[in-house]
Amino acid sequence: MTATNHAAEPVIEVRDLCTRFGAAVVHDGVNLEVRDGEIFALAGASGCGKSTLLRELILLQQPDAGSIRVLGRDVVGLDDEQALPLRRNWGVLFERGALFSSLTVSENVGLPLREHTRLGDRLIDEIAAVKIALTGLPPSAAPKYPAELSGGMRKRAALARAIALDPKLLFLDEPTAGLDPLSASGFDELVKHLQELLGLTIFVVTHDLDLLWRVADRVAFMVAGRIAGVGTMRELSTTEEPVVREYFHGARGRGAWEQAWKPR
Amino acid sequence: MAIGDQLSPGSTPGPDADAHVEVTEGGVRCAGAWTVGRIARLEKRLARGDWPQGAEISLDGSAVTAMDTAGAWLVWRLLRTLERDGVRVSLRGLRPEHKALLEMVEATGVGTAGTASAAAAPPLERIGVFAWGAGRQLFETLAFIGEVARSAFRSASRPARIRWRTVLYNVRTAGFDALPITGLLCFLMGIVIAYQGATQFRRYGANIFVVDLVGLAMLRELSPLLTAIIVAGRSGSAYAAQIGTMKVTEEIDALRTVGIAPLELLVLPKILALAIALPLLTVYADMLGVAGGMVMAKSELGVSYPDFVDRLQYALLLSDFLVGIGKAPVFAAIIAVVGCFQGFQVTGDAESVGRRTTISVVQSIFLVIVADSLFSVIFNFLGI
Repeated sequence: MTATNHAAEPVIEVRDLCTRFGAAVVHDGVNLEVRDGEIFALAGASGCGKSTLLRELILLQQPDAGSIRVLGRDVVGLDDEQALPLRRNWGVLFERGALFSSLTVSENVGLPLREHTRLGDRLIDEIAAVKIALTGLPPSAAPKYPAELSGGMRKRAALARAIALDPKLLFLDEPTAGLDPLSASGFDELVKHLQELLGLTIFVVTHDLDLLWRVADRVAFMVAGRIAGVGTMRELSTTEEPVVREYFHGARGRGAWEQAWKPR
Repeated sequence: MAIGDQLSPGSTPGPDADAHVEVTEGGVRCAGAWTVGRIARLEKRLARGDWPQGAEISLDGSAVTAMDTAGAWLVWRLLRTLERDGVRVSLRGLRPEHKALLEMVEATGVGTAGTASAAAAPPLERIGVFAWGAGRQLFETLAFIGEVARSAFRSASRPARIRWRTVLYNVRTAGFDALPITGLLCFLMGIVIAYQGATQFRRYGANIFVVDLVGLAMLRELSPLLTAIIVAGRSGSAYAAQIGTMKVTEEIDALRTVGIAPLELLVLPKILALAIALPLLTVYADMLGVAGGMVMAKSELGVSYPDFVDRLQYALLLSDFLVGIGKAPVFAAIIAVVGCFQGFQVTGDAESVGRRTTISVVQSIFLVIVADSLFSVIFNFLGI
């Protein structure tokens, strides 16, 4: 699935992005590029503008200046109708799952298929079951309502919905936030596994160091509305940028580093 | 624009043909893009069956230009369908990446039967479930009323613990803020009553009796009832939605953990506030209702304002006024208790908040009218 003839063009390209909320400057000239088929992580402290950038990429919010290209399209200024073809080509996992609480897991996963394809109900149910199984949920979870699931299962169900239309690009917002360490590392594996299986390009917003070390191919580090550094975690961990250093060499950062590079 | 076209740089570009199958000599040839946006027609074709005869056929996948999990699922399903019919299938020419997808789909272990959808329960079971639910609901309502009463007694013994600030706030939102709408509606109701009476009274020359009609109807029945219905719609629903949302966001649990009884903070002040606000609103509604009748009496029947007021003193007893006002606290208790109870009944999801809010309004209006008719019977019996 990871054909390389388009590889020259990045999947996501952000140029000189500026965002302001009133007087508060959220983004002050953000530049980044996500390549085809990679797991790209955006890290940074809370409130540095990560989530706002994600919302701008998925067209939930408009930046004040700069350009964003996703899947070869300029997304700034698109209206909902123009955005539809793009939206069908990406999946989004929200931080708290955002499963529709009045629908069962199976119906949640099937909803994009029902809306955007002309497939029969039976086939949709079957495809939903495949997606649910792919995310590691037991079949017994399918007829349940989101309120009946644990936090980790809800995240998996939300992931199943995000990949319902077999998107090429997946956005994950804090995929491991609120999960216990075991579920979180299970989720890390799952993301990596799906990426390999389906040839996805994944853009993940996180401050989970384990996920950054183990899963991400490249990491961009955001500080106060700017990208302070981009590279693999190894490259970033040797950077001189003081804020980034502090982030990686704090007690938790070192722990995660040792964990990640301990011989297994 | 369909899924999987030029927008997706990851997919192999190729002819944008829809997924399809061609029946060839002793085999089936799969072709086109087997992706989720392009398999709708294929699905119908596969459902039709009509495969080449023979104990062994080959499935050629070399002409498949693109495949995703949905397409792989269809291939897998086609294989299983053929095998179930006793046909041996040899799969040929599938690209490695498509084969990997197929293996992945197979590894999920999902059967062709699809997800078992819950079968509809037999009628008797449904009646039983409904009756059980209704019975439990009744029991829970009684339990809630009991809990509220206990909590009220506890608070009454220590008035300092009553949250007067919250009570006052609720008096304002449920009472003062409802003044315009209540006033307007009762004024209009007074006009309507007087107008309906006018045609009858004029015929007998009994014009002045319009005062009795408007006065008695408004004070005894219509003002308390209308006010209660407006408040049930305005405030009862708000209580249900507020408490319900707090329950969804676990704020109710949070209150418990910090040692605040939700009943004391959320329910008692509302009941108390409505018990204060509703009688006051009713008095106001009485005045506006009579004023409406007065305007109509003058324009339709030529009853001047001084005559109207003069007659009103003879037409109405103090008991008529008190009967109307006396019902208001009961209505208030019904509205507040039903609203809060339904709020606490919310479970989990957003739809439940909406459903419970609706139920709270319907139930409280229903119960208010039932209570009103009981009052009528009792007052009639007592001769008031």
